[in-house]
Amino acid sequence: MKLKYSLITRRTFLNTLFGGWLVAFFSGTFFALMKFAFPTLGKEPDFVVLDRKDFTDLVNNSIKRFAWGGTVGFYFKKADGTILALKGVCSHMECNVDYKPAEKRFYCSCHQGWFDENGKNIKGPPPKPLEIFVITEEGEKLIIAKKGVKVELPKA
Amino acid sequence: MQRLAIMGKFRIRVSSVWPVWRMAAAILLLPVTAFAAPAAEKIAKIAVFPTAPYYIFIVYESLAVFWVAILGLLVIIRMKLREIERVQEMGADREDPDAPLLQ
Amino acid sequence: MNCPRLKAWLEERYDWEGMKRLAKGKLIPEHRYDLWYYTGGITLFLFILQFLTGMLMAFYYVPHIDFAHKSIIEIVTKLNMGWFFRSLHHWGSQLAIVFLFIHLFGTLLLKSYRKPREFVWLTGFILLGISIFFGLSGYLLLWDERAFAAVRVATGGAGAFPFIGGFIKAFLRGSMDVTGDTLLRFYAFHVAILPILTLGLIGLHILLVQLHGMSVPLSLQAEKRREIPFFPNAFYRDLAIWLVVTGVLVTLAVFLPPEIGVKADPLAPPPENVKPEWYFLFLMQTLKLFPGSILGMNGETIAILLVSGAILFFFLIPFFDQKSARGEKSPLFTWIGVIYLLYFLTMTAVGFLS
Repeated sequence: MKLKYSLITRRTFLNTLFGGWLVAFFSGTFFALMKFAFPTLGKEPDFVVLDRKDFTDLVNNSIKRFAWGGTVGFYFKKADGTILALKGVCSHMECNVDYKPAEKRFYCSCHQGWFDENGKNIKGPPPKPLEIFVITEEGEKLIIAKKGVKVELPKA
Repeated sequence: MQRLAIMGKFRIRVSSVWPVWRMAAAILLLPVTAFAAPAAEKIAKIAVFPTAPYYIFIVYESLAVFWVAILGLLVIIRMKLREIERVQEMGADREDPDAPLLQ
Repeated sequence: MNCPRLKAWLEERYDWEGMKRLAKGKLIPEHRYDLWYYTGGITLFLFILQFLTGMLMAFYYVPHIDFAHKSIIEIVTKLNMGWFFRSLHHWGSQLAIVFLFIHLFGTLLLKSYRKPREFVWLTGFILLGISIFFGLSGYLLLWDERAFAAVRVATGGAGAFPFIGGFIKAFLRGSMDVTGDTLLRFYAFHVAILPILTLGLIGLHILLVQLHGMSVPLSLQAEKRREIPFFPNAFYRDLAIWLVVTGVLVTLAVFLPPEIGVKADPLAPPPENVKPEWYFLFLMQTLKLFPGSILGMNGETIAILLVSGAILFFFLIPFFDQKSARGEKSPLFTWIGVIYLLYFLTMTAVGFLS
């Protein structure tokens, strides 16, 4: 069926074609740029492997820090001797927390937040408890893992 | 700028974009400068181009798509330029200063 | 694009119609040589691309002697498409300087520098110097063997200037020899100082061109000629040419990614047959022409003085070429321009091949 009159003007057709093609062209460029500018950043590890002998002679009611990816983890020996591993990062604005043995609590100096011996937030702005890790022992090694992560060691 | 001859009522004008291809050809001879780097023995050759075959394929395929996009844009620009020149020749691009407003 | 509400909004606050009228008034003369008008725009476009890819590089490059070389290798091997953007930046600089020289010799031979456009020429010439320095400073940031040797030669050569040579050398190097201080200094030049100067000068250069309009070659001035409006006709032609240049640039970047040499060792001898970037070759060859001592005076100093004199003459050519300033044909200066061009091309070729 031949139309007597065109449905759109020449100008509209040309401008839409031009504009649409430009959008496609620049979105491709933009995509490439974004891939470059947002690199695959260092992710948080699912688990870390430590030497057991570094943590055997720990005094009660003290912490030993270990590296958890780019942040800090605590290997915490409570006053009653039980072991707890947790992330030493405050749940409020990600400042590093410190352990106060005298009060048996963790303290975040950024906004004066307090956590108890089990990492639960008890005072101040922190909205959630500190993250607790799962400790497993494999021979000479200590494996500290996130909760719910299946640890698969590479066959060295 | 080339203007093809006027043949009766049928007039073709080629815009001065096309001599650009000559310039592009001249530029394509530039890769010669790439070999100016002295042949120092590189002990560890650093991969300045992706090595994985699938990645290499993606790169060349993207280059082809890219050229299609550019050529498409050039065609559309030529279409627009022809339309603009056609309208300008008619004198239809200027507003009539005495035209009354629609009420 | 028809957006009456947007237009009304702008018109209530700014003289939008006035600005549009001003823009529509820009006309480009049409004649045999009008293709040369586009060379400046191409150079500008390539410089803008360099700014953009340079900003991307600046995200990851580290200007410290222990990390510079490594950071570039990281960009090229570890980041998504890092090799591509680095390659773009490298080829962008090569093409920008090529088109810069095309633009330079075009305006020289077409005598666009003549009255009243002397300042356009002067600002453009300063931009040439800045661009060459951009190339040199950017090149050192690689901190590989070749870059190190090239910069040592270049700054050492600058030191051969009589009286002020020592100061120039110390200023450029930041210490007695090419060290980490030099790298940091060149980084500051490349990323902060030169860009600001370039932006200012390009702004002035382009503003002056708008004020004066496009220059028409002397031989064609008497002819009657058409003038096409810049918006939209010449604008779309500019865009088309820029698209082709982008295509060529991307193709070069993909097929010929630049190498990275071995990391620079200040104590090691320079690599065999080390050469500077191609746009320095003509200078290097010129220096080679001069013997060690002439009539008891230091040959290199004489060479530097002569070269500087030639460049100074080149810089001030609008004031020397009085005939074209009066609007008369000036074949002497056409010949001078041709000689400069041929000398540059020949010396570059010789430096390349030897």
